[in-house]
Amino acid sequence: MSILEKLQNINRRYIYLLAWVFVLFPLLFPLGLPVPIGRESKAWKEYIENIPSDSTIIVTMDYGVSGMPELYPMTVATMHHLWTDTASKNFKIIVVATWNQGPLVFDTLLDQMNPASTYGVVYGEDWIELGWIPGSETGMAALATDMWSQTPKDFLENRPLSEYPIMENIKTAEDIDLVVSFETGTPGLPEWLRQWNTPYGTPFIVGCIGVSVPGMAPYLASGQLAALMPGLTASGEYELLIGRPGLAVSGLDAVSMSHLLVVLLVVVGNIAFFASKSKGVN
Amino acid sequence: MSEKLRSIEIPIIITAICTLLQVIPYYLDIQFLDNASAIERDWMLLIVNMAVFVGVISIGQVHGRKIMRRAKNWEYSIILMVAMIIMALTGLPIESIGLGLDNTIYNFLFIQVLTPLGSTMYSILAFFITSAAYRAFRARNIEAALILVSGTIVVMSNAPLFTSSLPFLITWKNWIFDVPNTATMRGVMMGAALGAIALAVRTLMGIERGYLRGGGTD
Repeated sequence: MSILEKLQNINRRYIYLLAWVFVLFPLLFPLGLPVPIGRESKAWKEYIENIPSDSTIIVTMDYGVSGMPELYPMTVATMHHLWTDTASKNFKIIVVATWNQGPLVFDTLLDQMNPASTYGVVYGEDWIELGWIPGSETGMAALATDMWSQTPKDFLENRPLSEYPIMENIKTAEDIDLVVSFETGTPGLPEWLRQWNTPYGTPFIVGCIGVSVPGMAPYLASGQLAALMPGLTASGEYELLIGRPGLAVSGLDAVSMSHLLVVLLVVVGNIAFFASKSKGVN
Repeated sequence: MSEKLRSIEIPIIITAICTLLQVIPYYLDIQFLDNASAIERDWMLLIVNMAVFVGVISIGQVHGRKIMRRAKNWEYSIILMVAMIIMALTGLPIESIGLGLDNTIYNFLFIQVLTPLGSTMYSILAFFITSAAYRAFRARNIEAALILVSGTIVVMSNAPLFTSSLPFLITWKNWIFDVPNTATMRGVMMGAALGAIALAVRTLMGIERGYLRGGGTD
């Protein structure tokens, strides 16, 4: 096998090894590359900043532990932003999950952020966690028509919703001003839109993993989706915008290096392909 | 009588009624149908919750059989069964005896085992995608060249390493996202929606019976 043929068919094990080195290197030796801010992260920040006072917001954890590497940083940054503004803008935040591991992921976030001491928000008055909503799209529809019967008790303290002042005037989707969804797949935005946006007009903003981004484009263009946080790079930009560099920023160098490897391999493969073609090998 | 009760038409009629109870209130505001639709949704949620137990039984059957027969990789099935039983028992919401979400073993399994395993499964994608991109992005013809160029632009535009020195990549990526991608995805979505409508109509009319009798055609 000639060198040109070998370059067109590099053993996948060497590629895996290279990928491992390219990701590990910047994690051990951070490069500190500059991070240009994209339009998505800017729009996300502006949208959250412009949420009207006294709004009631649902944050839905539509992912499990497998989605954490990409979605957890943006969830932390967004909750930081929302809870920081809660006192001045009197937000009411309701946390739900349509993925069964969502509440467990949110538990991890609570352990890390400790909202009561860090932001001074009071559980049951400023925010509440209702837990997992089973039934996928059916559960979303049921939640829209009657939140109290769908989740009679909260998730953290397991007490009836009637004991929490925050839930006093919140019964149906008509009482919700915004849904913030972090999601890796189905159920996700299309199901939420069908059951909440179309019948009740509830606005949505979504943070999703990179592979889901192309599928979000039509909803963004139609205005059904008000803002989109597409993957880890945008999360890093958002963390910088709100002045709270965190998990996403620390991963951006690794993103850069892994993408560099992809581009290098593509270039090498194509050069070898065309060189061998010109020599009549292929 | 028993023949009539076993008739294939009965489940078809039940399916049609249940479907229409969800479809009609979506478009028309009729209080009676709204209430019936809400009750049906509650029933559906109860069935979904019961299905969790069916899942547990199914896993037990599949892996139990594997262990009994010493089938290939049966050792992993033991780990799965033990982890499932421990997690289910320690996670039971009985706080008075130390079980539930605050249980130490449950938390250890979730934070130290499940979370890193889940992250690892997702992270392995990076290796596969790198290898797949190297093999797929090759300009063998015009169509492949278009995919190569647009794919490479999108990859580069997602990495600060490139966008910090080549800011025009962001503009190019935005155009790809806004124009060809949106147009294509709209086409895909509309096609899928029309297909779903056709399937729903066939199911309602009893023509599509794949969901009955284990996929039979009667």
